[in-house]
Amino acid sequence: MLITRVVCNRATKPDNFWKRRRVFKLTAHYYGRKRNCYSIAIKYLHRALAYVRKSRQLKKRDAIELWQQRISAGCRELGSSYEVLVRGMARCQIALDKKTLANLAIWEPRTFSSH
Amino acid sequence: MSATKRVQQWATLSRMWYLFDAQWQDPFRSAQTLALYLTGQNKPIYHPLNDCGDHVVVINSKEVALRGDEWKKRVYFHHTGYPKGASWTLAWQLHEKDPTMVMRKAIFKAMASNLIRRTNMERLHIFPGSEIPEEIKGNISGQIRPVMPVPKRLTGYSKEEIDNFPKVFDYPNDYILR
Repeated sequence: MLITRVVCNRATKPDNFWKRRRVFKLTAHYYGRKRNCYSIAIKYLHRALAYVRKSRQLKKRDAIELWQQRISAGCRELGSSYEVLVRGMARCQIALDKKTLANLAIWEPRTFSSH
Repeated sequence: MSATKRVQQWATLSRMWYLFDAQWQDPFRSAQTLALYLTGQNKPIYHPLNDCGDHVVVINSKEVALRGDEWKKRVYFHHTGYPKGASWTLAWQLHEKDPTMVMRKAIFKAMASNLIRRTNMERLHIFPGSEIPEEIKGNISGQIRPVMPVPKRLTGYSKEEIDNFPKVFDYPNDYILR
């Protein structure tokens, strides 16, 4: 059968099975209809991906906060404070980051006390 | 790992029992310090999911000192959940009822509001006087510094010390001391 170009354009779209399958793969671990029904699943997936994006920054912020708490705990053991340590290190031009300092406070308390 | 190193590790992970004398201390300022010990934030191994808080034994909570006229002005709110169940208690009234309550509430408020707050509060032992039960006294292994200096009363000085205190001037003979 010969169909004109206009009719060809109006024909039904190809099966969107593969597109849905991609979404369902990501929502496979959800509970209830969030997992099986596409229109519900896509809503929850968009929400989840937004959370993931946000928490990429939060993860870093939480880690920094934890290091600060650990360093200040180490300083308090020595009768000093976090601010004094940071200022003193800047003055002495010691470029150690918070992660390293927190690790020193835990694993190398004597090295930490020399700062 | 050598035997001494192994014991060092145990010491890191062990729970300490700290003594804190609340004699003439501001409960709200000392709560900031005590909350650190109860949650384990005084240790470099701290992690929010790590159960590393210490025990704190507070003595002389009857003798806490509030700033200014806070005994009259500070109000504690309680609601029973029923209609007309609200009640407002002044700090001095609460202190008369239970001398440990002002300190306990101050520390509870100083800790972050989360699910482990009540577990951490279980490690707090408050005593109104200076007597501690023997089983707790045996555990105590450290002391927390007072957050503010405890002043000495005039009655605390000996007669000799008072007489030897440097005098700036002499009162005239006709001066009436009241």
